[in-house]
Amino acid sequence: MKPHNKTIAIASIVILFGGISSSMVAANSTRNAIIKDFASQAGVPLSADRGKALFESRAGGGKPDTPSCTTCHGASAMSTGKTRAGKQIEPMAVSKTPVRFTELKKVKKWFRRNCKSVLGRECTPQEKGDFLTFMSSQ
Amino acid sequence: MSRFENKIKVWDIPTRLFHWFLVILVIVGLVTGFVSPEWWMGIHIWAGYGTVLLIVFRLLWGIFGSEYSRIETFSFSYREVITHLRELIFLRPLHYIGHNPAGAMMIFALIFILLGITISGLVVLGGEENQGPLAGVVSYRIGDMTGDIHEAMVFVLMALIALHILGVIIESFLTRENLVKSMIDGNKILPAGKTAPAKRPARPWAAVISLLGFAGVIGAVLWTLSTIPPSGVIALKSNSNYTSECGDCHEVYHPSLLPKASWQKLMAELSDHFGEDASLEPEIATNIATYLETYASEAWDTEASNRFAKISSNAPFQISATAYWKRKHSEISADVFKRTAVGGKSHCASCHLDAATGHFDDQNIKIPK
Repeated sequence: MKPHNKTIAIASIVILFGGISSSMVAANSTRNAIIKDFASQAGVPLSADRGKALFESRAGGGKPDTPSCTTCHGASAMSTGKTRAGKQIEPMAVSKTPVRFTELKKVKKWFRRNCKSVLGRECTPQEKGDFLTFMSSQ
Repeated sequence: MSRFENKIKVWDIPTRLFHWFLVILVIVGLVTGFVSPEWWMGIHIWAGYGTVLLIVFRLLWGIFGSEYSRIETFSFSYREVITHLRELIFLRPLHYIGHNPAGAMMIFALIFILLGITISGLVVLGGEENQGPLAGVVSYRIGDMTGDIHEAMVFVLMALIALHILGVIIESFLTRENLVKSMIDGNKILPAGKTAPAKRPARPWAAVISLLGFAGVIGAVLWTLSTIPPSGVIALKSNSNYTSECGDCHEVYHPSLLPKASWQKLMAELSDHFGEDASLEPEIATNIATYLETYASEAWDTEASNRFAKISSNAPFQISATAYWKRKHSEISADVFKRTAVGGKSHCASCHLDAATGHFDDQNIKIPK
């Protein structure tokens, strides 16, 4: 390999990884902003444990087909799930799926739909914040 | 066979090969048309092209072949046919060295019906399936109608084949000559006291050149027709909202699979979408609805768009609830739909490899294990 080509190769690797890591930093900051917003609406400190309990609970009140988040998302935050129509759902844990909770529109849409399906009501800002805190820690 | 009888070569090799190749192709055509699974359709189509080529060859060989292959040697007059049939009724048919009049009539009938079947098949292929050289020329409606004619002619063909076999058995019995064996070794009995007539030799090169000429001309015509883009198929741009919002939960169905009114109703009832809350932001919902209504079945003229336009009245936007869907999948057992690799009736693309294009070609079906 010519030295010139080698420089280009190294440069592209640096740019590539630099790009990936900087976009991950950006993703983390948007996600943190979303969580912070829920925290301020809740007015109490958020808890990953409460988020875990919410994810795994079978509170009832929603549709009989979807008694829990885990019905579709799989047993744990790390597992792959499946929609009722059979499409694969990537794990909710941020460590597994780094793009999770980085788009406010999507976060709002899915909380709106799925809280109604599972709990039969809207989720409170505290529940949403707890949920995201738990998933970010996973 | 008495010692006064001689055997002479009647059927030349090309005529015999023609006969048995045709037998094979007709059997292949019947099996792939009636019995085998849909995805053998490709073989059915090639059997059709092969049949046309064989028949064209036989017609040319009827001009350039050796004596008894020539059409003029079995072009009997109306009176001769009637006489022969009367003799058959009285079980005393005259012995013919080449084709007898009844056999000759059968040959013409078979050639006629086989040409009808293959040509109508090409029309069905172009109209209904939007494939082959006539895809850009024939509408779905014409193709669908021709399909009934294609099938009716096949039933006539099967009746003719039955009659042909029956005729061979009866004549073999009455003339004490195994006609099936003759079509294999080419020999027939020269009755005692008769001398072999002067035989004109075949002109194989003339036959080959005419066949190539014919294949060239027809090939050029079909090739030119095949350059016309398929009728009733429009360029579909993908819509990122549709792909992501709907595709998050289920397969991204081709818009041509439902009529406009169904898409309208579906998009208006997203808050209860097959029991699921699938509601969207109003501007995204409007964007997707416009896209789906623009490219709904009315905008197409494909088999899928025509068939699924006949929706089920109590499930207006469930494709698997249509009568057509149920009929086409009636032989697929419930276990197949339960397979992980299939994933249920809503997963067209698990088996229909071209589902995303809306084509749903028979040849593109592959059921995963």
